[in-house]
Amino acid sequence: MAEHHAVSDGKHKASTNAGGSVHGNSRPGAAGGGGGKGGLSGGLTQPAGWQSLLSFSILFLACLAGFSSRLFAVIRFESIIHEFDPWFNYRSTHHLTTNGFYEFLNWFDERAWYPLGRIVGGTVYPGLMVTAGLIHYMLNLLHITVHIRDVCVFLAPVFSGLTAISTFLLTRELWNQGAGLLAACFIAIVPGYISRSVAGSFDNEGIAIFALQFTYYLWVKSVKTGSVFWTIGCCLSYFYMVSAWGGYVFIINLIPLHVFVLMLMQRYSRRVYIAYSTFYIVGLVLSMQIPFVGFQPIRTSEHMAAAGVFALLQAYAFLQYLKDRLTRQEFQTLFFLGVSLAAGVVFLTVIYLTYTGLYAKIHIPIIASVSEHQPTTWVSFFFDLHILVCTFPAGLWFCIKNINDERVFVALYAISAVYFAGVMVRLMLTLTPVVCMLSAVAFSSVFEHYMGDDTKREKPPAEDSSDEDDKRNSGNLYDKAGKVRKHVSEQEKAEEGLGPNIKSIVTMLMLMLLMMFAVHCTWVTSNAYSSPSVVLASYNHDGTRNILDDFREAYYWLRQNTDEHARVMSWWDYGYQIAGMANRTTLVDNNTWNNSHIALVGKAMSSNESAAYKIMRSLDVDYVLIIFGGVIGYSGDDINKFLWMVRIAEGEHPKDIRESDYFTPQGEFRVDKAGSPTLLNCLMYKMSYYRFGEMQLDFRTPPGFDRTRNAEIGNKDIKFQHLEEAFTSEHWLVRIYKVKNLDNREPLDHKLRSVVPKQKYTSKKTAKRKRGHIKNKLALRKGKKLQKK
Amino acid sequence: HQPGTEKWSVVTTCRTTPLLGTLLSEKLTQMMEWASKRSVIRMNGDKFRRFVKAPPRNYSVVIMFTALQPQRQCGVCRQADEEFQVLANSWRYSSAFTNKVFFASVDFDEGSDVFQMLSMNSAPTFLHFPSKGKPRRSDTYELQVRGFAAEQLARWVADRTDVQIRVIRPPNYAGPLLLGFLLAVIGGLAYLRRHNLEFLFNKNVWAFSALCFVLIMTSGQMWNHIRGPPYAHKNPSTGQVSYIHGSSQAQFVAETHIVLLFNAAITMGMVLLCEAATSDMDIGKRKIMCVAGIGLVMLFFSWLLSIFRAKYHGYPYSFLMG
Repeated sequence: MAEHHAVSDGKHKASTNAGGSVHGNSRPGAAGGGGGKGGLSGGLTQPAGWQSLLSFSILFLACLAGFSSRLFAVIRFESIIHEFDPWFNYRSTHHLTTNGFYEFLNWFDERAWYPLGRIVGGTVYPGLMVTAGLIHYMLNLLHITVHIRDVCVFLAPVFSGLTAISTFLLTRELWNQGAGLLAACFIAIVPGYISRSVAGSFDNEGIAIFALQFTYYLWVKSVKTGSVFWTIGCCLSYFYMVSAWGGYVFIINLIPLHVFVLMLMQRYSRRVYIAYSTFYIVGLVLSMQIPFVGFQPIRTSEHMAAAGVFALLQAYAFLQYLKDRLTRQEFQTLFFLGVSLAAGVVFLTVIYLTYTGLYAKIHIPIIASVSEHQPTTWVSFFFDLHILVCTFPAGLWFCIKNINDERVFVALYAISAVYFAGVMVRLMLTLTPVVCMLSAVAFSSVFEHYMGDDTKREKPPAEDSSDEDDKRNSGNLYDKAGKVRKHVSEQEKAEEGLGPNIKSIVTMLMLMLLMMFAVHCTWVTSNAYSSPSVVLASYNHDGTRNILDDFREAYYWLRQNTDEHARVMSWWDYGYQIAGMANRTTLVDNNTWNNSHIALVGKAMSSNESAAYKIMRSLDVDYVLIIFGGVIGYSGDDINKFLWMVRIAEGEHPKDIRESDYFTPQGEFRVDKAGSPTLLNCLMYKMSYYRFGEMQLDFRTPPGFDRTRNAEIGNKDIKFQHLEEAFTSEHWLVRIYKVKNLDNREPLDHKLRSVVPKQKYTSKKTAKRKRGHIKNKLALRKGKKLQKK
Repeated sequence: HQPGTEKWSVVTTCRTTPLLGTLLSEKLTQMMEWASKRSVIRMNGDKFRRFVKAPPRNYSVVIMFTALQPQRQCGVCRQADEEFQVLANSWRYSSAFTNKVFFASVDFDEGSDVFQMLSMNSAPTFLHFPSKGKPRRSDTYELQVRGFAAEQLARWVADRTDVQIRVIRPPNYAGPLLLGFLLAVIGGLAYLRRHNLEFLFNKNVWAFSALCFVLIMTSGQMWNHIRGPPYAHKNPSTGQVSYIHGSSQAQFVAETHIVLLFNAAITMGMVLLCEAATSDMDIGKRKIMCVAGIGLVMLFFSWLLSIFRAKYHGYPYSFLMG
């Protein structure tokens, strides 16, 4: 099975010859392993050697496949950092390597959130930067001179190899070695994990999943052995996880939940007591060493469950101790029930509070505007996990049916992770490892029974059902060459067996499913998750490729042509990129810690020019950068994001900005002539479409035809008073405007009072046309009813 | 001479008002009395003309024009009415309650003349009658654009009248009550069977409930819960009912149920395959189980793949079914 995997992975790596050939070589070896296993029953003397060689090579190939399938972007484009957040991580890693660790911890970044600045050292999880910095340092120590950027680009693929190994270890503890290898193969190529760990995606999640799996492995190990050694290892791994990602909260809630459920199931043992007591205390102290976490572990509600379970465990252990001395059984059970009930209530309340807190956060516009915070459709589940999402409930079934301490853990892991993945699509990431593990259990159980020999299988049933006997099973598992022995088994066909025909058909079909899975993973990785989004590519009809490098073009323009301290205003999505690539001061960025500041930028973008100019003057803005996709049909541009700017601005300034003003009376958001006048005159619209009305893209369409929204723009005559166009990139994707300084003297709004009388005085007497009139004559006017108010 | 005429005209209006309505103070006390009885004042044509249409008036009135009678079959009206009640109650029982703003409703069957007078032909409609001047265009609530959530209405009211209303929804006791009831039933059962708590240790029960939860989550029921999509879509022109949403960004409720069943079938197939190999039943039954298992897995997986393919445009792979 695993070799099959490796082979299909080799297929998609056709571009890299080395990978393919390695697989090609490994195949006879693996088949030989299978043959060796077949010979084992015949009396081969050294099965262990074959087994470890086979396991090792499969694991190695899984790591290799995981690493190389993440390189699509590097091969297609170049070794660059992707998207948005990675740019910040890269910038701070760069700061770390040039200025040293302590300087990094104390770093106050005055180039972000102008004029507020941002304390970076205390507001980031430093694990990622320190890891990359350390690797860079080590390599340089060995005189392997690599640029820090390359270390950053390749960090996530390397760590995905490590994730495969730790998943193997964890699954081996839970089920058997065969399932472990299968799980390692799954996690190496599953899209749900690749989505966050392609080369260039230098983000916390890339290393955090490794830390997560490794912590869980060490936890399971320490519960199994009850040794302080493993628990300390678990704490250290937990410490690494805390330093790397905010998702450590998942661990600090799942492990107490495990302990709590074990107690409820009366599976309490001294091993659990030792493991959890040590873990909680050491882990707590270690996690508080991270500046960004600080005293949160003893303050916030997310961590209270862990503390509650710790107290409960001590009480329970004390009761157990008493129980040995006193023998008042009834009283004890009653007391136990009371305590567990109270603890359960506390636990549920905490969960409820956390949940409501999360729920409230979802409804704040700035959080709702981020597409990662949406709930998950079944299509996303299928897209990211394919066959695994359908089969992992079967693995869960087997685990619960053959329950033991560590399988309780994996069941809880699956249930909680699947809940969170359902609520928020980005948490699919934490679900993916457990899905791989449980699917591996399901597939492994099937292969275990269908790949082996009928007669041999049925004779020792007790041996088969026991999980500890993993060596034998895993040997059978990779025994794919059924054809030879089919011949043998036909001769000695056992009455109770299912028969070789059915078995081979089932095996073939299952392998086919897994092959489809591998193909799906490759396709998804190649098409959906390997775009750097800093560089865009489009394909012509004949298959040739156009590279649109507008973003970098514009950022380098900023870098080369503007003052070093120039302040650039843009929507927050582009803050990190401007800071990272253009090295200029930004007003807002992707670390959305200050909503009112963002709302101010949103207000400037959605007001008319003169109102916006006042805001921009007060914020000292020198340049405004916007993304405009109307020329090439790029849908992620600022006009499409514009309603979020309006909404966020309205949240803070409801008097000045109203969302309904930007819609037509029919409730549509249109950029053409029918669009609302407020929209057609706001700053964002004017900046996007400045001089666009003169541009005819195509003979079939009128000038000023927006390809993204398929409409002819409504305001073609755009003039600026306070801004001037500074730069527009090749495909108009990025447009930069300079904010003009104040004029020398403000022109007066009203006309100067005229001192000279308009008419010269002429004597009425001399005017011939003038009629005479009677003084004080009553003028007759018709009575008018006053207008009703 | 201009001031003179004005005075004259004021006198005229003063003389005419008692015929149309009552004095301002009387109207205000009357309105307050009604508002104290029910937060949304029900009006008919006569009341509407006297208390809303006719001057003098120094209070704003927010009126919902609606058709709540069952024979009108206006489902939207009922939902909008609930939201409007929530808003009016939040205002009525808030500490900031004054006589500046009143909430009222006019039902079509009680005041159809009002509908005619305002030449209105759709319900529900929300109108604001400001304390000064005539209603302008923005005094008509854009129902199509903003929806009828109480929060949106409150923003509109705040916009029109400068009265900030914090919408307080009456807490929904149904959920906790149901949960409490369920817990009580479970507790009661456990108490009744306290000498026979074997069922708590039945792995099948636990495994089955865990599987249910997992299947519910992976089929996107949480998305349904948060987004509230329709059950299925009926094409108004052809009358054809589609159960599968055409885009990968959204889904119908029916579709998620189908996916749930498919996932369950595949899981069952996997379990059957293992059972077939390990159980002690006679060989014929086991063979049937095995074939059924692999059949379930293959059939429903390829079916699921074909549905996925229909939704995710440009996906190249399929299996058994196109």
